[in-house]
Amino acid sequence: MMSDISAQEQVLDVPDMAPPKSRLRSAFARDRKAQVGLFILGFFVLAAVFAPLIAPFDPNEMTLDMMGRPSGEHWLGTDDLGRDLLSRIIWGTQISLFVGISTVALALVAGVTLGVVAGYYGGWIDNIIMRYIDLQWAFPNFIIAVYLVAVFGTGLLNVIVAIALAFLDDFARIARSMVLTLKEEQFVDAARVQGFSDARIMFRHILPNALAPIIVQATVSVSYAILGEASLSFLGLGVGPNTPTWGLILADGRSFISQAWWLGVYPGLAIMLVVLSINFVGDGLRDALDVRDTGA
Amino acid sequence: MDDKDLIKRAESELRDAYDYDARDPLFGLSKDDMRGNKMSRRTTLRLLAAGGALTMAQVLPGLRPTKAMAAAHAGGELNCAWAGVGEIVTLDPAQIGQVLQFQIASNIYGGLMHIDNNLVAQGDLAESWEVSEDGLEYTIKLREGVTFHNGDAFNADDVEFTFNRSSDPEQSRHSRVIGNVAELQKLNDFEVKFVLKQPQASFLTKALERSSGRAMTIVSRGGLEALGLAQYGLTPIGTGPYQVTEHVLGQGVVLEKFADYYDPERPKIDKITIQPVDGVEPLAAAIEAGDIQYVGGNPVPTQLVSRFESNPDLVVDIKPGPGFQSIWINPWHEAMLVTDFDKPVEELKKEKGFMVRLAIAKALDRDLFVQQGRFGYGVPAHGTINPAMGYFFDDALATASEQAFDPEGAKALMAEAGYPGGAGFPELKLQTTPNTKRDGQVVANILKQVLGITVLVDPKDFSIGIEEFNKMDFDLRLGGSGGDYDPDDGLVDWMQTASKFNGPDRDKDAMPFGFWSEAESDTAVEAQSVTADPAARRELVQKANAITSNKVACGFLYHPVDVLVHSTSVIVPEDARIPGLHELDRISLA
Amino acid sequence: MASYILRRLVGSALVMLAVATLVFFMIRLVPGDPIAAMLADSGSPEAREAMIRKLGLDQPLIVQFWKWFTNMLQGDLGASIYGNNQPVTTIILEALPRTLSLAFLSFVIALVIAIPAGILSATRKNSATDNAVSLFAFLGLSMPDFWLAILLIIVFAANLQWLPAIGYEPLSAGFWPWFSHLILPSIAIGTGFSAIIARMIRSSMLEVMQADYMRTAASKGLTVRVQMLRHAFPNALIPVVTVIGIAFALLISGAVVVENVFAIKGLGRVLIQGIQNRDYPVVQGAVLVVSAFFVLSNLAVDLLYAVIDPRIRYS
Repeated sequence: MMSDISAQEQVLDVPDMAPPKSRLRSAFARDRKAQVGLFILGFFVLAAVFAPLIAPFDPNEMTLDMMGRPSGEHWLGTDDLGRDLLSRIIWGTQISLFVGISTVALALVAGVTLGVVAGYYGGWIDNIIMRYIDLQWAFPNFIIAVYLVAVFGTGLLNVIVAIALAFLDDFARIARSMVLTLKEEQFVDAARVQGFSDARIMFRHILPNALAPIIVQATVSVSYAILGEASLSFLGLGVGPNTPTWGLILADGRSFISQAWWLGVYPGLAIMLVVLSINFVGDGLRDALDVRDTGA
Repeated sequence: MDDKDLIKRAESELRDAYDYDARDPLFGLSKDDMRGNKMSRRTTLRLLAAGGALTMAQVLPGLRPTKAMAAAHAGGELNCAWAGVGEIVTLDPAQIGQVLQFQIASNIYGGLMHIDNNLVAQGDLAESWEVSEDGLEYTIKLREGVTFHNGDAFNADDVEFTFNRSSDPEQSRHSRVIGNVAELQKLNDFEVKFVLKQPQASFLTKALERSSGRAMTIVSRGGLEALGLAQYGLTPIGTGPYQVTEHVLGQGVVLEKFADYYDPERPKIDKITIQPVDGVEPLAAAIEAGDIQYVGGNPVPTQLVSRFESNPDLVVDIKPGPGFQSIWINPWHEAMLVTDFDKPVEELKKEKGFMVRLAIAKALDRDLFVQQGRFGYGVPAHGTINPAMGYFFDDALATASEQAFDPEGAKALMAEAGYPGGAGFPELKLQTTPNTKRDGQVVANILKQVLGITVLVDPKDFSIGIEEFNKMDFDLRLGGSGGDYDPDDGLVDWMQTASKFNGPDRDKDAMPFGFWSEAESDTAVEAQSVTADPAARRELVQKANAITSNKVACGFLYHPVDVLVHSTSVIVPEDARIPGLHELDRISLA
Repeated sequence: MASYILRRLVGSALVMLAVATLVFFMIRLVPGDPIAAMLADSGSPEAREAMIRKLGLDQPLIVQFWKWFTNMLQGDLGASIYGNNQPVTTIILEALPRTLSLAFLSFVIALVIAIPAGILSATRKNSATDNAVSLFAFLGLSMPDFWLAILLIIVFAANLQWLPAIGYEPLSAGFWPWFSHLILPSIAIGTGFSAIIARMIRSSMLEVMQADYMRTAASKGLTVRVQMLRHAFPNALIPVVTVIGIAFALLISGAVVVENVFAIKGLGRVLIQGIQNRDYPVVQGAVLVVSAFFVLSNLAVDLLYAVIDPRIRYS
């Protein structure tokens, strides 16, 4: 489930500089959890990239071997239409990760831009943007996503846009509060004195210093996006019936779970493992970047 | 009794049933047979044949599930699940749009007529009736001493009130059902006369039927005034065997025995709770845990049927279901274009659009579909006339139809149309509802395997899908009909140029007709619906059915089966077993 | 302080107005014909015309909006265009106790799990207990709630047959019927939330334990137990209050999906069904009520926080 963590107007410790890579690396080297997370995540990323090579069957090929138990031929069994579950989960990795990452990329770019602009200029621009953000803040993220998919219709692109829009306000709020703190700093005054353009000051000077909490938020959001897509699919508001995604496999399998437990267990496990590993990594990042824990 | 005896007995019963008097214009029955308050077994069997509902299982009460049935006793409480639905939105007959709603309402209200387990109309609030020679006047004597749940007495005024309410499209969505009635006359407090515009073979079974007909299901004027429309829809007042004592949307309906019901033998059970259950796993869990002893509502998901059959605590009773499902093919789609069906099949076969159309219908491996899509529970379909209509059903069509499964023929047609192996053929969308998505996937896979064409399943909420279907804005659509007790239900509603589902909202300049229009079958459908003589009607029905099949009005897919699931602690006698309905007043607890 | 409260109240009211307007017009972008959905198989053209007139769908959008808006201000949210035209207010008032019961019980379950877990892991930092709690928290956060819901049904309803698989009984039917129907869905929703609170309590306990007054308490010779429960824990709860607003969002979002699994017709299910049926008035009403709750709970949390933490500036 998506949650609405983080966008509380937090008091954030501002790092002096963008975090040096070495610091990150050494922090990760000490963090077993983050290592495990990275390892699992790497495993899934490889599966996604090489899906056509490693999937043992065509994920959409139906046979009369319906709800077949896990066996030597079908390691994770077959689904209610006789399709190989392992192959479907491997192909599903592609979609789930793609939805997770592209959603957050979109929300991040749009949200951060809005937040930075609002925070930097203040005044009526800030007012307009923040009124919109407040409006969105009045809805739970997941409700927004449900509502938007209902309006746009289902499909990969629509789901991505819907979830991205639902997450927009989180990024905007964080970015704005960072900018509000940073724009009083000396290095910003210095940049102004040198006659740099607003855009340059915003995105070259202020933003890099505001990255830490945004990175942490982005990481956590990927996991919520993946859960969100699964939930939307479960409600019949997902990517579409012709593409195997974890959410869809689970949604389709839900009517058969008590006769074929593997249909409910393995896709659910895949979702859980990826979300878990992202949370591990996110947690590691939070510690390494010294961003205050908001509970997520 | 061994099988041979059974078959012999069935044969003789069937012979008797079809032995009608050809001189008599109506149903082959004498006037004495057609009036009175009770029908003889012979009359019943004949009417049964006329209604087309005669199957061996129905003639022979012995052909029933053999699981032990304990002795019945009156009283007790029953918990029912209504499958595949989140709430019972309304129980007001004027608003009811779903089978699963009138399944309940039929136990709360009385109607003039009610079909029995042989799909023959029997008197309910009509004590007796008489039909005029020309078949245009139905004089009905009403049952006396009937009261509504609120204590009001029932009389001819209530029939008039219901008729006026149902005739008004502002108040009722079933005005068409009684559209053939020219006038209703109140003769006295307990006698009314319907005057028809033209003879109607299905008047008693369709227009006056209390469950599926809904137009002449007697509502309470006093109840409507006291409760208001919205509340009446939840806790209505009727004259039926059960009264609603509680109804919370999304939570369930509580029915309690109506003490003053006109038949002292019914109902048997004191209290019945009906809980809507959406989702397969929750349904299975509730039944297997024993929380639920009887299942109504939407059909039990087929993947559960064999599992329930192997459960010693459950009874699973399967009968032919009244309905059909098809793949509708848009004739206005560029690659499947047919602008005129009024030619011989051989002529049509020279057109590319028709070749593709026929190829798709021929490619439907219906046996594979039933096995994979319906877990073996279903009957391959080649027309709208379903096996539950026994007498009208045409067995030969499965092999004789142009659209009988023929993969090689289908491939050849595709090649001839210019798409060998599916090459160059556009991607098609197959519209389904969220519930039929899985069926659609099986069809898409079959078409891919046989024809090499790509069909993408496109599940849409019913509201969107039906809108696009009505506008003829689709490539392929999976859909069809249920609750078809009379040939009219399939033929008149779906297979005529003027049928209510035949692209009513299309752009009529661009598309002169909807999914199908054929003069010869139009005429045959028109004629059968006013033909009372069963043999003549059957001939017309089968003729129309064959034309729609051969010229591919759609790719017919399957007829569902009617599956009743209940606990062994519930006793369902044969007369309570009407396909698609639930006669809760006739069942009892062990 | 008073002006701060007033400003927050006015702001919240404005947000609600904007929400109402947005919701009214956006739902009308949704493709799909409500009349077709409503009439199902019996849609004769006459019945269709009659229905459209009855619902006022033939009037200009702006007229429809004005009617709806003025009625709304009087507490009339219109009638469902589906079935027998139940008033939306009735539908929502019926759904509300279900969702609130579910939310309340989920919240209680979350606290029952989270408080001991959070305290234990904070007082035994880096112990096996701490790691176990931490792992549990991560699992709870990573598990799709509808998956958990289904697994719970299979185990506790279908196999063990301890609890009903579906449905809802009001509290008036007795405590046990009410409770037994809600326990599984509440666990499904509450687990993820308990993970968040447990982590919250842990980190804020750790912070509090560094504070001067804790050292004072320790120097006064209080037992560790008293130190923790009397001093550290109440103070650690302060930041936890902030997540109660989040809690509501999470519980409502969870309820949307989980109510669907357990066939409980709460607000979430009303919303999803409304969307599926294109039942404009119902969707508007449900979204309005959900967001009103959300706005109000945020408001309440902000005000509460302002009261218990005097460091907040009211600007």
